[in-house]
Amino acid sequence: MPWQTQDFAGNSAPMRLRESPLGLAVRRVLRKRSSRVAFFVLGVILLVGLLAPLIAPYDPAAQPDIVFGKSLPPSFAHPFGTDLYSRDVLSRVIYGARLSLMIGVLATIVSLTFGVAYGAVAGYAGGALDTVMMRVLDAFLSIPRLLLLIGVLVAWPDFSIGALVLFLGLTGWFGLSRIVRGQVLALKHAEFVTAAQALGASRRRILWRHLLPNLVSPIVVAATLGVAHVIVLEAGLSYIGIGVPPPLASWGNIIQEGADQVATLWWMSLFPGLFMVLTVMTLNILAEALSEAHARR
Amino acid sequence: MFRYIAQRLAQAAVIVAIVAAITFALIHLAPGDPFSATMENPNVSEAVRQTLRAQYGFDRPLPEQFVKYVNALAHGELGWSFSHERSVREVLATALPNTLLLMVVALVGSFALGIVIALVQVGRRGSATDHALSGVSLLFISMPDFWLALLTLLTFAYWLPLFPVGGAYDVMSEYWGFGHRVLDRLWHLALPALTLTALASAAVARYQRAALLDVLPADYIRTARLKGLTERQILRRHALRNALLPIITMIGLSFPALLTGTFFVEKIFSWPGMGYAVVTAIGTRDYQLVMGGVIIGSIMVTFGSLLADLLYALADPRLRR
Repeated sequence: MPWQTQDFAGNSAPMRLRESPLGLAVRRVLRKRSSRVAFFVLGVILLVGLLAPLIAPYDPAAQPDIVFGKSLPPSFAHPFGTDLYSRDVLSRVIYGARLSLMIGVLATIVSLTFGVAYGAVAGYAGGALDTVMMRVLDAFLSIPRLLLLIGVLVAWPDFSIGALVLFLGLTGWFGLSRIVRGQVLALKHAEFVTAAQALGASRRRILWRHLLPNLVSPIVVAATLGVAHVIVLEAGLSYIGIGVPPPLASWGNIIQEGADQVATLWWMSLFPGLFMVLTVMTLNILAEALSEAHARR
Repeated sequence: MFRYIAQRLAQAAVIVAIVAAITFALIHLAPGDPFSATMENPNVSEAVRQTLRAQYGFDRPLPEQFVKYVNALAHGELGWSFSHERSVREVLATALPNTLLLMVVALVGSFALGIVIALVQVGRRGSATDHALSGVSLLFISMPDFWLALLTLLTFAYWLPLFPVGGAYDVMSEYWGFGHRVLDRLWHLALPALTLTALASAAVARYQRAALLDVLPADYIRTARLKGLTERQILRRHALRNALLPIITMIGLSFPALLTGTFFVEKIFSWPGMGYAVVTAIGTRDYQLVMGGVIIGSIMVTFGSLLADLLYALADPRLRR
């Protein structure tokens, strides 16, 4: 039975023995002004993505006037200009935020699942299995992620967004699993693990209840960087024509459609890119602050 | 020392073997084969496809195909490029020197620039200059390669037409003298190399700044300070030399990013290298050329990190036994 504390009314609540490591790290991060700004900016971009249908001034797919309304430079009616099909670029960038962020987050969830599982198994099992698993990982790590994705995506001709998310996720866990494996390896003979073993805890319980909670901070840092990475990768893949298929709008996609005529359609490259840089930069700032907070512990 | 080199070489060989297995799996896990993907032309009859499959050995059992595949790879055979109507090996062999030139220039440029930026920052740590430069490097590492390349192209080739829009040399260059040709080459190299250098040097500067700050609390730095050396001498003679070791590891680590960068940069500046060939091949669905590029790129990265590790062993007297 956990310790209980009673307030004056006699209500009891479980006593908080210590704050969670993650909660502590987040509080420390938010003490820095730069990370508060980053947090705010990221929040705004997230909101823009979530509320896209309410904010976007036009339908992102509508082609109102393909003759006289196409390729217009930025104006009051179209702050980011219009594209080759007379679609409003601002609305497409807003919807692009939605798609790019969603792909980033979902793919990262896939990566985390695989990375943590693989790393934990390798680190906990040790021995020959660990060696083999790590060599395979070395090979995957030595194929640049973009090349691996090109290989996969070119081989599968028509894939859905779901498959794209899956591929992005499945190529993003190698680095994380190495971190997890190292930590598990370092902690598996720690006294609290031995104590848990002595009390008869199963392997699974030790892994879930004793080892993984100690890995939350590096995992959160890796996840933050992972989302940033996926956003840039997705844009790059869309740029070379094997990412998000048109007419859907993602940031990379919009840039791709204007890239061949960048001299005349510069607004199609500049604005989506600015949004992307802003998002990635805030994520980088937060990841850095988080890992600093973790290191200071 | 020799044991270490031998071990590291064996490890690289194992990695290359696994890479071959992975690429083989990629090719064969995908639905269809190069012939159903590249030849969707209804005028090509099923019989022709079958013959092609038999010609290229795609009708054989998988293990046999794998042995053949590895054998072909070992002999440098990477298949046939439909769009160039040449062997993939020839296409990549003509493209590779251009890519290597771009990568070497960017590598040297970015490490030189990155180290200088880090020295300036650490020399004035905590100052406004330090913070500003940190901000700038953060901005650059957050930039997608292709976006910066597009903006560079837009700014320095269209708005300020100082540099050529693309290509590796002028169409007339054949008729020029040697000196003129070299200048022409550099003039075309400028923008792609500059883009890659800017992107890579930001990462180097951040890494090198941290490495320098790491060695500053060391005893020998305190000794140097007590000897009465100036801050400048301490930084350059004592701190930098020791903080340069991790930078060798960084060279190996930066290889994948640099290679990936050349893919976009070459495409945007029409620089006739491997990246340009592969990205164009994606558009034409020239599958074997794409896979050839993937394999060669991975092997380059493996050997890049091998080279960095060996350099490290040479440079670190503690490992030189």
